[in-house]
Amino acid sequence: MARIRSFPLVAWLLLACGTLVMASPIYWMLATALRPRAEVFAAQPSLWPSRLVWSNIGAVFTQYPTLQWLANTATIAVIAVAITVTINLACGYAFAKFRFPGRDVLFFLILSALMIPIQVILVPEFLVVSWFGLLNTNWGVILPRCAEAFGIFMTRQFMLSLPDELIEAGRLDGAGELQIFWRIVLPLSRPLIAVLVVFTFMWRWNDFAWPLVVLTDQQHFTIQQGLNLLKGDPNPNWPHIMSLALISIAPMLAIFVACQRFIVQGVANTGLK
Amino acid sequence: MPYIFIAPNLLLFSLFMLFPLCYAMFISLHDWDLVGDTSFAGLANYSRLVTDPLFWTALRQTLLYAGGAVPASLALGMLAAVGLNQRMPGRIFMRSIFFMPVVVSGVATAVIASWLFNDNYGVINALLERAGLSRVNWLSSPSWALPSLIITTLWLRVGFCMIIYLAALQSIPRTYYEAARIDGASALQQFIHITWPLLRPATFLLLIINVIYSFHVFDLVFVMTGGGPGFSTTVLVQYIFNLAFASSEMGYASAMGIALYALILAFTVLQWLAGRRSEVAMGGG
Amino acid sequence: MSKSRISAGPQAFAKGTGRRDLLKYTLAAGAAGIGARSARAQAPVSLTMAIWGDRTSEIAHRNVIAKYQQQKPNVDIKLEVTPFGQFYQQIDTRLAGRQAPDMFRIQYQQVGRYANGRTVVDLSPYLPADYGSAFMPAMWQAVNYAGKAFAMPYHTDTIALFYNVPLFEKLGIVAPTSLDKSWTWAEYTDIARRIKKDGGLPYATAMIWQTSNAYRWLPFLYQHGGRVLEDDFKTPLIGSRLGIETIAWTQSFFKEGLSPASTSIKSNEQPQNLFANGTLGMYLGGDWHMSFLRDNMTTPWNVTYMPRDVAMASDMGGNCIAVSRDCKVPEVAADFLKFLASEQSMRDFARDGALLPIRTSLAHENLQYSYRPDAMKVFIEQATTIPENLARTVGLPIWSRINQRLADQLDLAFTSDQSAETTARNIDAAIRVITGA
Repeated sequence: MARIRSFPLVAWLLLACGTLVMASPIYWMLATALRPRAEVFAAQPSLWPSRLVWSNIGAVFTQYPTLQWLANTATIAVIAVAITVTINLACGYAFAKFRFPGRDVLFFLILSALMIPIQVILVPEFLVVSWFGLLNTNWGVILPRCAEAFGIFMTRQFMLSLPDELIEAGRLDGAGELQIFWRIVLPLSRPLIAVLVVFTFMWRWNDFAWPLVVLTDQQHFTIQQGLNLLKGDPNPNWPHIMSLALISIAPMLAIFVACQRFIVQGVANTGLK
Repeated sequence: MPYIFIAPNLLLFSLFMLFPLCYAMFISLHDWDLVGDTSFAGLANYSRLVTDPLFWTALRQTLLYAGGAVPASLALGMLAAVGLNQRMPGRIFMRSIFFMPVVVSGVATAVIASWLFNDNYGVINALLERAGLSRVNWLSSPSWALPSLIITTLWLRVGFCMIIYLAALQSIPRTYYEAARIDGASALQQFIHITWPLLRPATFLLLIINVIYSFHVFDLVFVMTGGGPGFSTTVLVQYIFNLAFASSEMGYASAMGIALYALILAFTVLQWLAGRRSEVAMGGG
Repeated sequence: MSKSRISAGPQAFAKGTGRRDLLKYTLAAGAAGIGARSARAQAPVSLTMAIWGDRTSEIAHRNVIAKYQQQKPNVDIKLEVTPFGQFYQQIDTRLAGRQAPDMFRIQYQQVGRYANGRTVVDLSPYLPADYGSAFMPAMWQAVNYAGKAFAMPYHTDTIALFYNVPLFEKLGIVAPTSLDKSWTWAEYTDIARRIKKDGGLPYATAMIWQTSNAYRWLPFLYQHGGRVLEDDFKTPLIGSRLGIETIAWTQSFFKEGLSPASTSIKSNEQPQNLFANGTLGMYLGGDWHMSFLRDNMTTPWNVTYMPRDVAMASDMGGNCIAVSRDCKVPEVAADFLKFLASEQSMRDFARDGALLPIRTSLAHENLQYSYRPDAMKVFIEQATTIPENLARTVGLPIWSRINQRLADQLDLAFTSDQSAETTARNIDAAIRVITGA
């Protein structure tokens, strides 16, 4: 209790103001989503909608294939998370715990992929995906982004701090390399896995530039593409757009609020010491 | 043996990253309008880069954007983390709100930001007016457009920086602070002598991530300002995108993309080396 | 699947087309004997067609497709809708990957670029000899490249002046009621000033050239008697007196505060929002804005003609549909496009989509638009003022590059202090680099 009193009121007020500022854009989304359509462009926008039109949110589900879009995005994100996290854990582990020729060059090469703006390789990447016949499929969206530099980097940093003795002990017990990875390394990596799962899921959920060129059939759209489609209508219905934007954010917010403490501790355990 | 662990990753990386990158290099040696024939151009696209005043303008605007957005998001993120690491009423709620924008997609951010900043029916100007201040042409005056983008970026990025700093703060042993208090150090002195130096690795990581992010900025510009007014928000990726898909100069766009890639790479290597040296100077971190 | 797609080709034309046409298609389809193919007469064909647009025009497209499928039940046409903002990026990428949709909607301004790259199919083998004579000359001109038709024109859009009715009544302004009485530049400027001064509005007017649609500045240039290029279509003419004066005049609306800075060329502002909420008393907008105003503006509005100077001119909006080189059955696609552009379909499509027809036979017909037929009439008349030279200029394969430079420089003139002379000089220099003049 002494700590609470010792925390200066001024600092608390500053943080509260900061919280207010950070929350206001989301509030504005909500306020626009629930506004009658006629009020949207008022030259003097009122902070509160004159009345709350809850049907705007329902209309998003009935007038557009929103549930389909959500389902598509969830499918892509879940499969992508499973593959991405698995192969990046394995790869980061190898970079941290093995010595082999070309290791450092390879590590840097993969890491440098973080630095390519997607717009630069959009066309060549599209060619590759079309050669494999993956256009308009979920795999076309999932596979190209699975080898993910951030995950490899985080894994390597984390695994460097795992004691080598554990792995050696496993080898002395006659366990195979895959068994060691599965039985010894992964159980110790739970906080890392949690962080990778949450962040990968978030990036996949929000991905836009790449699905845009791979998925052209409205039935296959992700939720971000759906949002973009509504926004691109020359006669846009802004309450609907804002409602859909909120719907697209909601799952991520729920995940974050639920896992907040977990994420902070996870990041703290992943080599930021 | 290690190759089994690397193989799946390496396969996907080679197919979907390395090959497209090499292909982009190949395109950069040609003139190609995307829909027509290609013709070999040698290094002409690269020499055009050097003499293209717009390239230098775009580079300058990108650096200005990074110079504004990166230090500010680091500073605000650190302040928020130090504040929200204390026990206080509403801490979890405040943390959640600060982090919230991180989960908002680029599309949704651009939608809401262009509404807030709209000159004529945006709520920011309405609030300014209600407070007795004059309206600002946020997105349509050459002096305010870039700051508007930076403010939006801060909203997006501060939460991410905060989380990383929070994590770093939690790994600082409490005993350091207790010892300092016994020695009679003030809160400010504790920050300068304990917190600040021990946050260096996190700062270093965030610096690299945020600089890369700044050099990649595109969605916000594309939706909020279209690179204007004039060239005041013409940043590199936006210029590259315009060259590729609006004026159909894919060869030149690829050359610029490769140049940008090289630039970020060089910057990161330099920063990495500098970071290592300072770590060594500090006694191994 | 692909085998049956190919084999269905000639059959698709056997129904509902004349004997002479059938012969023509057979020849066009190539020498591979028709006998073997007709054995699988009812084999299904599926085609994809990419469009952008609002819901109204999407529904209009679907209606035409449904009617076509009543005639040709074996042809399935799937519509892909992409927002305009990403449309060309997506099409170009897919063309580069040889995975383009069979048919795609394009603006007239883009035909030259695709035709020049041979990424779209020459439709002339599938069309009767004087097929184009039934269309408005500017539109037929726009889809032709090197003497061949590379796309099927099916509608146009154009720009006219929307105004706030109560405001005009209050200020005693009477809008012109016929094309030949449209306001001159001087009158238009004067009315804009009155709206701001006497009407008490923050701004008066705006033009819809945002998101770098710089080609919509051209009508003003042509109204003033100017042109972009010499007859060689290489040497730039913006630096002429006429070009500089047009830049200065369009710039004056921003300098005088008659137009909001946010309605400059690179901005993403939408002037129809500002008109709907009473920030503007009038604005130059497109016929496709009417459904927006119906849904978002409570104050009564009306439409009158674009201002004129020494000449009348308006924007060449509207679209055509091209068949991509990736289409396996171009003859089937071409048959659908002929159906789409037939008199009956064009009439229905224009009415359903609230768009303008481009067959001369429909120009003076009462199309029975369901919403504001009076306003549509103004747009239809205005569409007759699209200069043919403008159509040729924006149809050049290099137009997209010129458009980009035009947008850069005009935006500088409208949002900074760059003089009209400097702007014109910079545009000309950029054009010379592009055309090699």
